[in-house]
Amino acid sequence: MKKKLLSVVLCTAMLVPTLAGCGGGAEAPAETPAETPAAEAPAVEEASETEDAPAAEADSSGEAVTLTVLAGQSTTDAGIEEMIDEALAKAYPNITLEWECVDWGNDFQPKMQQYMQSGLPDIMIGKAQDVATYAPQGILGEIDAQYLDRGLDAARQNVTIDGKTYGLVYNALYQGVYYNKDMFAENGWSVPKTQAELQAIIDDCNAKGIKPFASHMVDTWSIGNVTMQFAMNDVFNNDPTWGDKFRAGEVSFADDKMMQTAYQYNKLIYDNTYPETFSTEQTDCDAKMVMGEAAMKVSGSWSIQNFLDIDESFNFGIFPFPNQTGDSKLIFEPNITIMTSAESEHQDAINCVLDVLTGDKELAVEIYDYTKTAPMLKDVTPTFTNPSQADIDEYAANNMIVDVTLGNNQLVWGGFQEENAKDIAAWLQGDISFEDCLAASDARVDASSAN
Amino acid sequence: MEKKLEKQYFAMVFPGFVIFTIGLIIPLMLAVRYSVTSWDGMSKVKEFVGLQNYINLCKDADFRSAWWFTIKFTIGNTIIQNVLALLFAVALDSGIKAQKLYRTAFFVPCLISSIIVGFVWLKMFSNVLPEINELLGTNINFLLFGSGRTVLAGLLIANNWQWIGYWMLIYLAGLQSVPADLYEAAKVDGAGPISRFFNITIPMLAPAITICVVGITTGSLKVYDLLVASTKGGPGRASTSVIYQTYTTAINGRQYGYGSAMSVTLVLALLLVAVIQVKGLKSKEVQA
Amino acid sequence: MTIKREKQKEPVNTQSYTKATFITQIVMTVVALLFVAPILIIINYSFKTKKELYLTSPLSLPSSFQTENYRKAFDKLDLSHTFVNTFFYTFVSVLILALLCGMTAWAIARCRAKFFKFCYIYFIVGILIPFQALFLPIYIIGYKMNLTNTRYGIIFMYVATGISFGVFLMNSFMTTVPLELEEAARIDGCSVFRTYFSVVMPLLKPAIATLVIMQAFQIWNDYLLASLYVSKKNLKTLTVAIQSLFSAQTSDYTTAMAAIVISVLPIAILFMSMQKYFIKGMTVGAVKG
Repeated sequence: MKKKLLSVVLCTAMLVPTLAGCGGGAEAPAETPAETPAAEAPAVEEASETEDAPAAEADSSGEAVTLTVLAGQSTTDAGIEEMIDEALAKAYPNITLEWECVDWGNDFQPKMQQYMQSGLPDIMIGKAQDVATYAPQGILGEIDAQYLDRGLDAARQNVTIDGKTYGLVYNALYQGVYYNKDMFAENGWSVPKTQAELQAIIDDCNAKGIKPFASHMVDTWSIGNVTMQFAMNDVFNNDPTWGDKFRAGEVSFADDKMMQTAYQYNKLIYDNTYPETFSTEQTDCDAKMVMGEAAMKVSGSWSIQNFLDIDESFNFGIFPFPNQTGDSKLIFEPNITIMTSAESEHQDAINCVLDVLTGDKELAVEIYDYTKTAPMLKDVTPTFTNPSQADIDEYAANNMIVDVTLGNNQLVWGGFQEENAKDIAAWLQGDISFEDCLAASDARVDASSAN
Repeated sequence: MEKKLEKQYFAMVFPGFVIFTIGLIIPLMLAVRYSVTSWDGMSKVKEFVGLQNYINLCKDADFRSAWWFTIKFTIGNTIIQNVLALLFAVALDSGIKAQKLYRTAFFVPCLISSIIVGFVWLKMFSNVLPEINELLGTNINFLLFGSGRTVLAGLLIANNWQWIGYWMLIYLAGLQSVPADLYEAAKVDGAGPISRFFNITIPMLAPAITICVVGITTGSLKVYDLLVASTKGGPGRASTSVIYQTYTTAINGRQYGYGSAMSVTLVLALLLVAVIQVKGLKSKEVQA
Repeated sequence: MTIKREKQKEPVNTQSYTKATFITQIVMTVVALLFVAPILIIINYSFKTKKELYLTSPLSLPSSFQTENYRKAFDKLDLSHTFVNTFFYTFVSVLILALLCGMTAWAIARCRAKFFKFCYIYFIVGILIPFQALFLPIYIIGYKMNLTNTRYGIIFMYVATGISFGVFLMNSFMTTVPLELEEAARIDGCSVFRTYFSVVMPLLKPAIATLVIMQAFQIWNDYLLASLYVSKKNLKTLTVAIQSLFSAQTSDYTTAMAAIVISVLPIAILFMSMQKYFIKGMTVGAVKG
């Protein structure tokens, strides 16, 4: 017994100094209100950076302000917060950002729900579709036209509700079919515009023992994502209010042939990809693509980072997945979208941050290069090599691009597309019938709109 | 005197009582309250809908299948984990050398967070084990997370890998406190090793068995972390547990009231199971 | 008490090393190797470069022993904060739990008033409440009381969610505390508190050890509460930081693997060095449960 006691005492003795070292803030909060411990640290940092930074501009009072930022990021975005901090410290040394970075797909919505109970952070970074979810709650602030004007007009429409714009779209991802350019050239395939042309390539692939598609269906989100791509070109391009009609009971998944076609393309992919796709993760899938095991991959720009990580000389292009009518457009998805709180006390400081984000071109290029994404600011050109850029430019020049936010606003992601994707997975695996899969989507009609 | 003592006793219970009430019971009450509303988790309005959420639950096929998965997972875990943990404990207690080394090997996985365990097994099943097929030229299906038919088996393997060592330690501790003279006496009476196991070991272990069975069952019914970084409830909904379903409904689906009804149902079910188990197992203990 | 101690000292196994034992030894060796294999693979992965991960067999050894992943993991996990935070939360919560649960359980066991009987049931029910499913109300309560994004807030929650199991565990140990000792103390004029702290608590030490062990793992590895209560950068815990390394797209596996090794290592070392005490604590739990 004594020995044991001794060891406990010894351990405690050893631990106490460690705690004293770390616990500077740990003891304090026991008496002080919640905000204090967190606010201390950034203040110190700021002081050290202030000295040789240029003086703050007129519209900031010079008083030290700390803004809270909730950033819902994709993994490709993680790290941009440091770049922003650095640029901000140069332009407005009195403003400090307190970042809370979470995964957009899993944690952004719960965090927003949390903060709607307790008060929003000053700045939120999400995706364009978030505007439609949160703006109607009356919690988002309008963005000043001065900053919006520095961005491209194309992305503005879908973050504008009743004439007021609540989101500043910073960059975009392109979605479509990534293809191995060298392989296409060797086999004499040209970019398919129609389903028949695509089928011909698939057949040729199969004949030559090449997997037509790389895919990673273990990630249900990827099924949901490509399904929306299909729906954009086969449904929403003809009928931009399909979702509204769906909720009004005019159309349904069980009856609408075009929507069913969009679902059926999943089967086309599934039948022409590796049998182990439900066990293949994105990184492995992308690796197979790069190593020439597959010819095409329906995906988005987030794959570019992976491709180039594995082989910086991998030569790939992009084309929109052909629809029934042969007039598919390349899809772009506004990615980083900055929203502000309607009730923030620091509106001036928020505007300073927006000023840096939209005005600092060096920062913009740095971020675009880092995330390998396309700019949504005017007159900014990233310098990273993107083999698929030539294709993107061509579609953009011919006005053959379309914003997927349209579809995501008509049929929301969380609770609807996401759940439908699970049914599609079950259908592909043969666990439920196609009719059941459609019926399940129809039954979810109440969850199909954000409001 | 008695009153004064009671006051002092009360003062000892009080802090824990308050913390527990605020941290867990009040949230539970809130959940019960939300479960009769159609709240989306965001807006200020929480419209009262009576028992509508509960009525909808009965018709909800997804919720039923989540329950079905959770029940299968729980039964599988309770049986496999108990049996293997006990077997391992007996084996380690049989006088083999370097017992400490084995103990550590079995125990280390449970030091790893469930989130990480899920992730590790995702990699094991999809990358590492298929490679063994290639090495040996065999054709075993290791892609357990890849199909609705095998995902349960895969998760059971992951979960058992993580927890067997933990329960084994408890059984081992129990075994080592069984007085050796009981075995000696039985040996003298001519009882074989198997008869000794069932007539002495098992009854003597009854308290440990109660702890393990209840612990494993209630733990498995609450499975969530393990799924987050592995199957994410898929493929399809094949591995969606009740809590996972609750979470996606309440949060991603913005149906907080409905999700709350799900969690209330789960609490009730857990209570029921625990009461039955404790009653049943305790009565066995007395007989022994 | 004295009887029990003798029992523990008694050599448990008088059997000799027979053929059967030898076979058991071999079987268990194989099983143990299977158990360790995934861990070895994690370690192996953690030394590979990204390219090696994709292009070589998962079983092959890394071409060179590079520690780049570890350096990245240190950086990305912000270890100087996350590690210390996790340690601090775990340590303080477990300390409070050890103090509180013993007290509560003892009072419940000793006082025969109706309220205490109710308390027992009340606390036990808590074991069954899946706090995972209650996260929004838990958060609402937390922010209304200014507990979110504070160190004491998360500790408060760990205590609240751990206390019911703690009381259950300690309560089942109470039968090992002889009433005579307490009565003697009472007759000497000790208050209830003195009786507990000077007479009962020392006797409960093995039970407290069990409690500490069981709760420490749970809290160290907790994901949900931590992600709910402490999301600010300087308050984050290790598990939350690691989880963000393998989210949706372009997961950085090699770094994640290194991070896993870093997070498990300290607690594994703690276990191995204190194994004896762990087992001792559990012995009492299993026998008197």
